[in-house]
Amino acid sequence: MNPATQSATNHGQWILSTCGMCLHGCGIRVLVNDGVALKIEGDPTNPDNLGKLCPKGNAGLGRLYDPNRILKPMKRTNPEKGPGVDPGWVEIEWEEAFEITARELGKIRAEDPRKLLCAIGDFQRILLWGWPAVFGSPNFFTSLGNYCGGSYHPVNGSVDGSFAAINDYDYCNYWIQIGSGDGFSSHLHVAGSTKRMADARMRGMKVVALDPRCSVAAAKADEWIPTLPGTDRAFVLGMAHVLVHELKRFDREFLRDRTNAPYLVKEDGYHLRDADGKAQVWDLRANVPAAWDAVPAEAMALEGSFGVNGTRVRTGFQVWKDILVDHTPERMAEITTVPAATIRRIAREFVEAAQIGATIELNGKTYPYRPAALNYYRGSQSHGNGLFDNLTYKLFNMLVGNLDIPGGHLGVPLDHRGFFISPGEDGMLKPEPHQLHPAPPFKYPADSTHLMEWFPIGFDAGQLNTETLLEPERFGLNYTPEAMLLYHSNPLWNLPETDKVEEIMRRMKFVVAIDIHLTESTQWADVFLPASTFLESTLLNCLEPPAVTGHAVRQPVVAPLGDTKDAYDILTELAERMGFLDDWNDLLNMVSGFIAKPQYLLDPGRRYSVDEYWDRVAKTIYGEERGLEWFKQHGHAVRYRTPEEAYMPYGNLRIPFYFEFILRTGAELREKMNQAGPVGWPLDNYRPLPFWKNSQVIEDGKRGYDFYAISFKEVLHTFADTVVMPWLTEVSEKDPIHQGILINRATAARLGIRTGQRIRLTSPGGSIEGDAQVVEGIHPQVLGVSNAISREFVPGIKKKGSHFNRLLTGSMKYTDSATGGLESTARVRLEAI
Amino acid sequence: MPTVEIAALGATRKLLGFSRRTVEMEKGTVADLLRAMPTVEGNNLYAHLVCEGKLRGDYAIVVDGLSLRADQLERPLSGGEQVVMMAILRHLHGG
Repeated sequence: MNPATQSATNHGQWILSTCGMCLHGCGIRVLVNDGVALKIEGDPTNPDNLGKLCPKGNAGLGRLYDPNRILKPMKRTNPEKGPGVDPGWVEIEWEEAFEITARELGKIRAEDPRKLLCAIGDFQRILLWGWPAVFGSPNFFTSLGNYCGGSYHPVNGSVDGSFAAINDYDYCNYWIQIGSGDGFSSHLHVAGSTKRMADARMRGMKVVALDPRCSVAAAKADEWIPTLPGTDRAFVLGMAHVLVHELKRFDREFLRDRTNAPYLVKEDGYHLRDADGKAQVWDLRANVPAAWDAVPAEAMALEGSFGVNGTRVRTGFQVWKDILVDHTPERMAEITTVPAATIRRIAREFVEAAQIGATIELNGKTYPYRPAALNYYRGSQSHGNGLFDNLTYKLFNMLVGNLDIPGGHLGVPLDHRGFFISPGEDGMLKPEPHQLHPAPPFKYPADSTHLMEWFPIGFDAGQLNTETLLEPERFGLNYTPEAMLLYHSNPLWNLPETDKVEEIMRRMKFVVAIDIHLTESTQWADVFLPASTFLESTLLNCLEPPAVTGHAVRQPVVAPLGDTKDAYDILTELAERMGFLDDWNDLLNMVSGFIAKPQYLLDPGRRYSVDEYWDRVAKTIYGEERGLEWFKQHGHAVRYRTPEEAYMPYGNLRIPFYFEFILRTGAELREKMNQAGPVGWPLDNYRPLPFWKNSQVIEDGKRGYDFYAISFKEVLHTFADTVVMPWLTEVSEKDPIHQGILINRATAARLGIRTGQRIRLTSPGGSIEGDAQVVEGIHPQVLGVSNAISREFVPGIKKKGSHFNRLLTGSMKYTDSATGGLESTARVRLEAI
Repeated sequence: MPTVEIAALGATRKLLGFSRRTVEMEKGTVADLLRAMPTVEGNNLYAHLVCEGKLRGDYAIVVDGLSLRADQLERPLSGGEQVVMMAILRHLHGG
């Protein structure tokens, strides 16, 4: 691949760094002259993004030189708080800012550290997310990560020890994309991924996009299939039915040899086990059950139902095969509105493209070759049954034997450590649903306001705060939060049920914000601690790289503007002032890998600068010769993953097809909750295999909420904090999809609605208003709200106020009971006003 | 006499009253080392970290960069090892 052509401009010095405009950190170079940053480009030497850079990265100077940045600490003088209320900010010195913050938070810590709610959202410094744990707060007051990955990450980790997933750009020939912008506009390292996608298309790869909206991915695909939001799983279940029951084409060897699909399942859903506890398979040679490790793979039955001691057992594959019987394309068509003929056609095209049985040689080693894969992300699985969504997509890929195989669907590790691989039970890979932190043990009442102790395989369900904090007695919560720490997070924007979030914030006696701007949330702060931007700060970055591994450095390209500080320094100072610097350093020792290289352990009583810390991180990973200074000179130590690292990195360990551990985990949790837990806590999604089940969103449709509402973003904006940047909004404000609430042309004509007309969307959770924007490219039953128009408190932008999250509900009715994943679609009524 | 480098983090640091120490010991096992390490309140580290002969699930011991399984406390130590002991922080939340 040829890196993008770079600028010939040389008036100044090019400094290598990484972008901070989204969570992924593409390599950049910044032209600096006389202490002024003049231009940002992609770093052509970094194989992650190959010199490419998305609009957000290109506009990064707008973050550094934003006239609305807060450049000095502030405290509020007006005790009254609320939207539109002037806080009466006065600038203060850092000493006073730290003194006030340490005093107020110190009081909380002395009384009960759980009383601190923390909303921390800097993805590129996940190490800082441990600060609340050291303070003593278990709380997570944000939907960050869960909004898109609440079910996604636990399933990825449970299947192959990965954190994310992507199809194989290099070798895939038939790419199904569901509810995702990968390779086109968003998600994993978009700058480099668009290059990889373009190259794949140039060599002939076909893309089929399933999406309620004609997104950029759908518009550039070979085929766009409109579908109803939250029904994508039904489409894929229908395709699975076609492969298994109609075409009878699936990769038997992969399923039999590389998964636990042949392991026998009893009628109670648990594996048949022998006296030693080993899972059993059906030995076709002797027609008896036998231990999984006593039967050669070719002698294991993949399908079938068998009698054992008067009871019936089936293989795990047979169990799903039987489930799929009534997931016919006709039935799935009713759910999705995608014609049954289309479901059948795409299934046939996919399995034909998969070339089951083919092989490929890479670096002298022969691999199975399956150049067809299904990729998916937020839109397809951030729903109330997100566990089942994710399991369906994984199992569908497994049907053609493409998981972690050249051409297929590949796991993407969290960072440089690679896949989390260790042997589990019965020859299996050990499930690793928790890669950001260990699961806290069950406790009733819970310590955390987001009830993490009740989600043993789940994610941090920050949306549950709106229930627990306003109705604590229902959950047995035995304390009342009084303070809040906001660090690069905007919970009033990112959490559902905005009015409830506002009520919670009203109850806070002290709020401290570490951020760059005033936002919907930080305007509630009592003290504002201004942070440095990504062009003024230091770290080593490596997060979810889809094709490479290694780190790139972020370094200051200019001196920090105004009187701002690196967030690491701010949190370290606060830890020292509150008397837990030793614990903070010990946490950094644990999460930074220093325990593997004890010579780099931080002394608990000593304060380390941000440079000293990252220097130790660099040397721990790359050796004494490659500390921070080496990285500042060279920019990165990023390389392509080898085939051995990318394909089947877990060797001969089997991956789960039948998820008995999910069933078992649910049963154990039920037992604990029966002994001491909330009455009626839902546990119905702890199932070993996916199937179609209506979510609450589907049920809401029966109550007169006729339309589906979705939120979306394209490459210009991420989260919503890029909406404050004029370079980006000047472009997005010219694009009709960011001008109002999208409504299908035929639907608008039927209802007599025209572009620019004011409309109101009302869901069971709330309502929003906005200008209608009539478009062709959206499903007739769907209304779309761009995140570009979702902000409510942003000076200077034209379109705002259609805050989509007001339509969502954060309760367990709209939450996956196993993963904690939230529902990101709403059913709404539409009216012209 | 052979020595072992000890690093104690978090709760184990507070139990022992130190963060780094070089400890002399005859050839023995990790379990022997834990028994030989007095805690500030007068007990020994083995009593705090071990339950029914296995390392408690809320603690970790790393020897020369490799984390021990709960049933590996009889791993021999011959001298020169770097041993890191720590309590696992459960609420390292993230997204």
